[in-house]
Amino acid sequence: MKRFLSAKSLFGLGLVVLFVLIAVIAPLAVPADYATKMVMTARLHPPSFDHLLGTDQLGRDLFYRVILGARTSIMIAAAAVVMSVVIGLPLGMIAGYYGGVADNVLMRLVDTLLSFPALLLALTISAVLGPNLHNTIIAIGVAFTPYLARIIRGEVLRVAQMPYVEAARAAGTTDLQMMVRHVLPNIMPPVIVQATISLAFAILAEAGLSFLGLGTQPPSASWGLMIQASRDYLDVAPWTALVPGAAVALMVLGLNMFGDVLRDVLDPRTK
Amino acid sequence: MRADMQVAPLLSVDKLRVEFDTGGGKVVGVEDVSFSIWAGETLCVVGESGSGKSVTALSVMRLVEFGGGRIAQGRLNFARPDGAAIDLAGTGPALMRQLRGNEIGMIFQEPMTSLNPVFTIERQLTDGLRIHKGLTAEAARAKALDLLKSVRIAEPERMLRRYPHELSGGMRQRVVIAMAMACEPRLLIADEPTTALDVTIQAEILALIDRLKRENNMAVLFITHDMAVVAQMADRVAVMYRGKIIETGPVAEIFENPREDYTKALLAAVPKLGEMRGRAAPERMRIIGDETARADAALAERSAAPKAKPKPLLEVKHLTTRFPVKGGVFRRTVAQVHAVEDVSFTLNVGETLALVGESGCGKSSCGRSILRLIEPQSGDIWIGGREIRALDRHELRRARRDMQMVFQDPFASLNPYRRLADQVAEPMQNFGLATGRELQDRVAELFDRVRLPRSFLRRFPHELSGGQRQRVAIARALAVNPKLIIADEAVSALDVSVQAQVLNLMMELQADLGLSYLFISHDIAVVERVSHMVGVMYLGRIVELGPRAAVLENPRHSYTQALISAVPVADPRQKRLRDDLTFKPIPSPVHPVGYRPSASLYDEVAPGHFVLQG
Amino acid sequence: MTYLLNRLMSLILTLLLISAITFGVTNILPGDVAMMIMGTQSNPEALAGLRESLHLNDPLIVQYGRWIGGMLTGDWGTSLIFKKPIAQLLEQKIMASALLVVMSMTVALVCAVPLGVWAAVHRDRWQDTASSGAALLGVSLPDFFWGIVMILLFARGLGWLPSSGFADPTENFWLAVRHALLPSLALGLGLMAHLTRMTRSTMTAILNQEFIRVARAKGLSERTVIWRYGLANAIGPVMTIAGLQIGYLFGSIIVMESLFNFTGMGWLTYQGLLNRDVPLIQASVFVIAAVVMLTNLVVDLLYLVIDPRIRLG
Repeated sequence: MKRFLSAKSLFGLGLVVLFVLIAVIAPLAVPADYATKMVMTARLHPPSFDHLLGTDQLGRDLFYRVILGARTSIMIAAAAVVMSVVIGLPLGMIAGYYGGVADNVLMRLVDTLLSFPALLLALTISAVLGPNLHNTIIAIGVAFTPYLARIIRGEVLRVAQMPYVEAARAAGTTDLQMMVRHVLPNIMPPVIVQATISLAFAILAEAGLSFLGLGTQPPSASWGLMIQASRDYLDVAPWTALVPGAAVALMVLGLNMFGDVLRDVLDPRTK
Repeated sequence: MRADMQVAPLLSVDKLRVEFDTGGGKVVGVEDVSFSIWAGETLCVVGESGSGKSVTALSVMRLVEFGGGRIAQGRLNFARPDGAAIDLAGTGPALMRQLRGNEIGMIFQEPMTSLNPVFTIERQLTDGLRIHKGLTAEAARAKALDLLKSVRIAEPERMLRRYPHELSGGMRQRVVIAMAMACEPRLLIADEPTTALDVTIQAEILALIDRLKRENNMAVLFITHDMAVVAQMADRVAVMYRGKIIETGPVAEIFENPREDYTKALLAAVPKLGEMRGRAAPERMRIIGDETARADAALAERSAAPKAKPKPLLEVKHLTTRFPVKGGVFRRTVAQVHAVEDVSFTLNVGETLALVGESGCGKSSCGRSILRLIEPQSGDIWIGGREIRALDRHELRRARRDMQMVFQDPFASLNPYRRLADQVAEPMQNFGLATGRELQDRVAELFDRVRLPRSFLRRFPHELSGGQRQRVAIARALAVNPKLIIADEAVSALDVSVQAQVLNLMMELQADLGLSYLFISHDIAVVERVSHMVGVMYLGRIVELGPRAAVLENPRHSYTQALISAVPVADPRQKRLRDDLTFKPIPSPVHPVGYRPSASLYDEVAPGHFVLQG
Repeated sequence: MTYLLNRLMSLILTLLLISAITFGVTNILPGDVAMMIMGTQSNPEALAGLRESLHLNDPLIVQYGRWIGGMLTGDWGTSLIFKKPIAQLLEQKIMASALLVVMSMTVALVCAVPLGVWAAVHRDRWQDTASSGAALLGVSLPDFFWGIVMILLFARGLGWLPSSGFADPTENFWLAVRHALLPSLALGLGLMAHLTRMTRSTMTAILNQEFIRVARAKGLSERTVIWRYGLANAIGPVMTIAGLQIGYLFGSIIVMESLFNFTGMGWLTYQGLLNRDVPLIQASVFVIAAVVMLTNLVVDLLYLVIDPRIRLG
């Protein structure tokens, strides 16, 4: 518990909570048009008292756009990770628990999928389905599933050979009860760690996808989209790239720090 | 007083105190530890886990600092070859490196991880020589060959080219000893060097260390938890308890006339092989300060009462279990591990049958096969008139009510995320034996039975000690009122005093409930104490089976004889170390698919005493 | 021998699976190649005619078979946007991207291994906090952010290196290296951060092993203990992790090449994705996945050479 309350984890958790709060509360607290209002006279203004973080090429306030973007980026990343856990968990559990043919087939497929760079797979799916918010979630979710399935299978294999599982089997516990009572609780810690780290990767992936124009589409605001829009103005207005870039970095940093500490505390293999 | 105590000691430790820096502040590892050790003698430092004996050993090498420890106080006076004494506690790193491996050698517990997996034996044997003695590659190689010969390794030239993973545990430990002996150290520190080894290998290694000591007039600081090993190895003994040395003295004095209560209790709890000679039935372990007498009388009374007629509970006939070794793209079976090979025995109601043998002999697989936790290839398993192998999945689940299992590792046999009460209740819930209030009461009664306070009901496993967890595991096994409990090395991971308590609990339960135990163990002294029948396993087969007294007191199979002769006895007057014991290495149980082993045929040398033919 | 034969069979199976997944993923889309060629507003009869001539009405499995057959005979189809044979396009671009990947990996490994070992040796002290902190920051920044920083700093600010453009390494190697330098630095930084973390955790685990204690007990110097005894054991795992990062690199080059207008494999794939050039997407996705898989195979085989446990086991 002591390690859990270390400065590192509190800082990481603080960053994550801050961004999530911003994403949830900001749209209620800030009038909607703050982030979308275009002021043609105030294009590419550097940070100032009027515009804390400056303005973009259409004269929109970057501070409010980063806040608005937080909502999109976090929502997409979270939904994608939830999706990959929801698909990966049963697949990994079935493969790991039952073994045999199902395991061989599933893991051969997963291993092959891992040859596809996650970003490439996500880009391809997004391009094929047509880039928009929902398809971005699907693309990232599908691209991350093999990683989760693989880790979950490994954890199930580890837990399934524990004496307490054998003892429960000897005591007449059925397969379903075994998974719910013994396997699931014991694989959850590493799965939570992996999900936290995946969340960081998903934020990066969403930024990458949107940066390439194959993720969320204008006029919605997402961090990747903001960086993409800044590309033509790097010389005159570097802050238009640095502001959303810093937002991504802080969010991902927070998740990674939190994930590191979670791993140290929860993962039985590091003990 | 020994005559040579006039001579200055080689090492004298004076008021050593070691602290560890943890996140939450300083923790004292050892405190006020003082002892001396002279050339040519073995000092055994003995204690249970956490007593600080390893910390003491590491401090002498000043390796404790690499584990986050710090020598906070005390002197470690070490006599250099020129007679001058230096304080190791204040020695600089450069001089310390000169001493390590050169004047002081060390052997560690885990032979499997003591050698660097990616370097050859030659490189690991010679690098110390080249640094300390400045030998050339050829000279170091020649010396390495000599060293391998002195630790009795056959074909030393070939051994030099090998990598650690190609060697067995015993071989590796010999190489580690050769490494420690390379520069002819005057002090050898051995930290539990045989704990991870089988009993025959242990005997070999102990004899080897003892011979090297005598040949080189070397001092040996021997760290162990095993009183039997102490009796065999020690000239003098230091008993450690909670970071302090509580008693020091010559080995005979410590064993025959212990001063401290802790030492007395420790010695009492150790079973001595051979002490059951002439006793009819299993007896409780001695625990000092226990209400032993009363319970003993009761137990003796019950077991002495002539049984009507032994009624068989479990009959195993020609049980065979093999594991496939898979390979290739399609994961086909390319070979088979013959784990259990044509095993037959009968376990009577209310009795204990022990399966003993060394690691890999198939005793655990045999236990699991009976419960069908792993599927046997062939054979019959009859329990209470039911053929287990003929049952389908649902029938098997119900049949398992009659037989439960207790495992070795107390830390892994309980689900860390469930409350103890839930874990003990689970078997009853599975079979719908009780619900609600009644279930709670039954769980509480089971806690009473295994002598655990009811306040533990709501706790989680990590809040308990190893012995307490093993009690919970026993309570869980008892929950469905089984007739048979398979105890797979159930007390092997416990400290000796805790082991004695758990064994007594098991015997008590047997007397009260008429339980039968299949007691799987590598510890022959414990087996002698608790069992009615003994089966000795070797390479998947039972090589000798019969009443406890017949098998252990009059062993007829050569393997049983070797095994029993290798067991260290916790009595310094029965020294069993002889020069250079070598036992036959155990062959591999892996055979190609289609290999047909012969059937197990037995000679009945005495009524009920069977010995494998051939 | 049996081992290699097994690996070869497994390789062929995996390549088939990769091609099937590629084909499957690119065929889940609504609409088809004909629609893309002629546009959504096109005349339905002409569309149907084109479908017929492109065999798009055949069952998927037949189309897949035809695609595989083409790949095997060297006919990789024609790009819809570049109007050129795809095999020819890929041939031109793949070397430049290979150069980029190799350069980034080199940059990353050269820095990451010493840094990770250094952090592991000084675990929980300031050296560890500093290098692990920097590495943590490094893995938290998107690659393209590094790219932008590189452009701002070296190209726009200092004017040392070109911020965009491309040269074919088979024609002018040093010019190609010059063009690849900034993107590979940008790629290498993120990768380096990741590998530093991995080296640190691998090395930390190794330094806790018994044989390290044994080496110290022999009186070996700390330098020998760490850089010989320790590192020799870390090379295998670190190499495996680095090999797995090849996949990550091939994902990142898509972003980086488009940022730097470096017209390599990633850029080509990106053009295909942006314009829904299905034949081009299929071919380049397949090639990238196959290259990633083959690199990992090579790493596995190298491991075989390095680690005696597997070599002889």
